[in-house]
Amino acid sequence: MSDDDLLSELQAAHEPLLPIEKRLIGWSLVVGLALLIVLLALGRLLPTG
Amino acid sequence: MSDAALRTPIAATRALSEDWFAVAVGVGVVVLALLSAAGHDWLGWLVTTSVWTDVGKALAPVSKTYADLGGLGALAVTLIALAAVLTVGALAIGLDAKRFAVAFVVVFAIAYASWILGSFANVAVVTPADQAKFGVTWSLKLTNEGGYIVALIAGLVIANVFPRFAEWLGPAIRPDLYVKTAIVILGAFVAVSAAGKLGLASSLLLRGLAAIIEAYLIYWSVVYFVARRWFGLSREWAAPLASGISICGVAASIATGGAIRARPQVAVLVSSLVVVFAVVEVLVLPAIATTFLSSQPLVAAAWMGLAVKTDGAAVAAGGITESLILAKAAAGGVHYAPGWILNVTATVKVFIDVFIGVWAFILAYIWTNYVNPTAAKDKPRLSEIWERFPKFILGFLLTFVIAFALALSGGQNIAPAIGEANVVRVIFFILTFFSIGALSNFSKLWRRGFARLVAVYVVALFGFVIWTGLLISWLFFGSVTPPLAG
Repeated sequence: MSDDDLLSELQAAHEPLLPIEKRLIGWSLVVGLALLIVLLALGRLLPTG
Repeated sequence: MSDAALRTPIAATRALSEDWFAVAVGVGVVVLALLSAAGHDWLGWLVTTSVWTDVGKALAPVSKTYADLGGLGALAVTLIALAAVLTVGALAIGLDAKRFAVAFVVVFAIAYASWILGSFANVAVVTPADQAKFGVTWSLKLTNEGGYIVALIAGLVIANVFPRFAEWLGPAIRPDLYVKTAIVILGAFVAVSAAGKLGLASSLLLRGLAAIIEAYLIYWSVVYFVARRWFGLSREWAAPLASGISICGVAASIATGGAIRARPQVAVLVSSLVVVFAVVEVLVLPAIATTFLSSQPLVAAAWMGLAVKTDGAAVAAGGITESLILAKAAAGGVHYAPGWILNVTATVKVFIDVFIGVWAFILAYIWTNYVNPTAAKDKPRLSEIWERFPKFILGFLLTFVIAFALALSGGQNIAPAIGEANVVRVIFFILTFFSIGALSNFSKLWRRGFARLVAVYVVALFGFVIWTGLLISWLFFGSVTPPLAG
């Protein structure tokens, strides 16, 4: 399959989000935000110089 | 990732060889440099460039031990040595050694000529005192690292105006090889800087962890959602694209494509898009950072590492940002110690790179068990994490540990010795900048069917990734400033 054929597939692609994809997106965001808050707190506790 | 690698489905395998070669060269350079601390000057013949008004005085060997070589002699020896070592590497990687050697000589000539041009006093000098010293009435104030920008522009002109010439140079247009080697050498430079400011360095490392979380958990999930829900991309396209925009450009796209068993061309096409957009970022973001973040140099540094995709482009953006911000600060009478902005950008990028293999494994597990359940023999193996691990990071760690231990043990000559290795690092950066430009043929963006990918990229990058990166950089690095020089 040529690159151009492959790119034309993009126009026709329709795949609904699966529950596992929704869980992956949701959990990534929740865990990511939680870890950022923890790191931010740790960063505030440690001296910077 | 080289253009050749972009065109082939076995790019990941080649990148592995390229990684190990970058480790060998980078570690070898650092070891030779450290020998000079023991009285053996093995790298003093390298060419270095000073700010000039008389081009005849621009070049010189880095060490007075080799003063007899003269500037042109040092340039010739540097070219011969680099061409010889890299041609051996090209042979090991599986390239046509003769074609590589010939192309490399031309690439080096154009790239280093750009560097010399960037050191012209009207381009480089920063302070009024230096303007008076060189007898110039105006300057672009880019420092001599403005040569990076000249090299990038030279590459862009060749790629877009003389595409056949760019193709001929192809065997030696290998930004990944050059930047990985530079990053391995940079490990020793970071170590020497960190040993002098242990508290600051450890604080920055902790803050660097935020970059990993942001790239993999925040960026990826949002970009994947945008690509799937808003733009209707299939999973096969959305996952490599999300990795390309969120993590580390080419390497992440290819690792993700392999993990979800996408057709090889998908990752290759996504990668070519990543490379082109990375150049746009390199040209635009450092200028924005200098305009608005010159009082927060490390926020700007982290932002480059988080927002600019591909290792080469990110480190390139860090280098430009450092030269511009240091120049602006110096013009205002503030003299920051050099190296810290670049070090933070590179460290953020290295931190992100470390987890490419882990993320690819997680995606492979989800895809083969839940999205496209497959037979047991096709399930991902834990060894894939190691297979996809960017090996040049081991070189970075190795040079860091060696130089850090020597610097902490009180070696007075370690910093000057690493300074010689730094000359090689700068040369590899110049080659990286030129190569990035030479790979960026903007006509690719107008290919039929590319519009939707481009649209996702524009919306995700300029609508979310850049600004979230700025916010996180501000939150984590806003309270930290680099030490002052001297």
